[in-house]
Amino acid sequence: MREVLTANNLSYTYETGKKKVEALKGLSFAVNDGEIFGFIGPNGAGKTTTIKLLLGILISQKGELSVLGKSPTLPEARKSVGYMPEIANYYRYLTPVELLTMYGDIFGIEKKLLKARINELLRLVDLEKESDRIMGTFSKGMMQKVSFAQALVNDPDLLILDEPSSGLDPVARKNMREVIKSLRDKDKTVFFSSHELSEVELVSDRIGILNRGELLAVGPVEDLLGEKEEGQTLESYFLNMIEREI
Amino acid sequence: MKAIWAIASVMMRELVRKKDFYILLIFLLALLGFLSSQSFFNVEGISRYIKDFGYSLVTLFSFIIAVTFTAKQMPGELESKTIYPLLAKPVSRHTIILGKFLGGVVISSISFVLFYGIFCIFQWIGGTGNSFMLLGQGFLFGILFLCLVCAIAMFLSNIMTLGANITLSVLLYIMISGFADSVRDSVLFSKGITSVLGGIFYYLIPHFEFYDLRIRITHSWDPLPGWIVVAVALYTCIYCFVLIYFAGLIFRRKRL
Repeated sequence: MREVLTANNLSYTYETGKKKVEALKGLSFAVNDGEIFGFIGPNGAGKTTTIKLLLGILISQKGELSVLGKSPTLPEARKSVGYMPEIANYYRYLTPVELLTMYGDIFGIEKKLLKARINELLRLVDLEKESDRIMGTFSKGMMQKVSFAQALVNDPDLLILDEPSSGLDPVARKNMREVIKSLRDKDKTVFFSSHELSEVELVSDRIGILNRGELLAVGPVEDLLGEKEEGQTLESYFLNMIEREI
Repeated sequence: MKAIWAIASVMMRELVRKKDFYILLIFLLALLGFLSSQSFFNVEGISRYIKDFGYSLVTLFSFIIAVTFTAKQMPGELESKTIYPLLAKPVSRHTIILGKFLGGVVISSISFVLFYGIFCIFQWIGGTGNSFMLLGQGFLFGILFLCLVCAIAMFLSNIMTLGANITLSVLLYIMISGFADSVRDSVLFSKGITSVLGGIFYYLIPHFEFYDLRIRITHSWDPLPGWIVVAVALYTCIYCFVLIYFAGLIFRRKRL
């Protein structure tokens, strides 16, 4: 199976004045083509730093990183990547259609194709009726839906989602889970970080547990869950693992 | 190019949907309307005054649009975190800076076209119009001036806060428009190291006074020779290129 995303001995340190914070310490993992990889960890574990490195927003100080066979610092590497940020904030004076058109134009999608794609995406996230409403009036959940739609505008091969279900109601969460699963059927790769362990368990093929910049465990969900004692949930397994580290 | 234009187009929508532009437009109409009404009562010399004051207002209002809209682009993107989905697209940081700069130029130019159009109409109504050539040069110099203003605001937005950027841009405009000639004279008459340093300073500052055709339009003088127009256009292109290039470099090194 082809590796879509690889990180090898990745390190990153934030420096503010004399203070140094090691966000990632020799992180290594790989995500295969067509799999859903859940990335979990407590606050400050290094999940968002990892995602920023994967998108070329930060440049790795040590180690190697490859996204779809290219260095993520190259704009071309992001041509087939979709990204949904943790905080869904977009230009409040635009409508969802205008926002998606702008992003589609950046990807260089042909006009007719883009129009059809936007209609399809707005239907998918249930925002068809709000397509021409200014986003300044949208609720957090609606913005999250727009955020999900914009991540899919280029029909990406690799989708990177940062806390995708935060702010969504249970129905919307279920819909998003189904969309993510349907992406697997289309051989798309999904890399997502989440605090919602039940969600990670329901959707992921493999998970990685990150704490203080180090990967504590990585593997298929069933394998990791097989290691846990009877009656334990993924949450208690995760908490045990984190506490052991502390 | 499509990506640059896509980024720029967002700013055009911002101009249309925010109140700033409409307030300035109404203000300009009201002021020019008031001044024109004075001429109906045969106040002496009012037509020249309208030209002088009207042209200054058009330049000032377009300058306000150019500075405020361009200066807030990068801090706004960073503060609202809209920069992250944008950076995740297949664009380089230089492309983003270029797109934002182009957006600033386009929206301030649209504003200038409208403001300048109103100014020309008021001149025409008052029967005190200038030659098309001179009005055309005034228009071209206005656009070039806005390009330079946007480039400065974009460059400064990468190294300072929004408030500091706007303050410095306004101060630069006032100081250079008012005192560039004095600086040149003092450089010409100074000697030794003062002359060298003064010369470097003089040639490095953005020469806003190059674009000021206010007196020429007010007194209906002859249009400028073609070579001056070309030289000013070239000067603007080089200055903008250097500023936008360095703005891109600074933004590329910025840790987000």
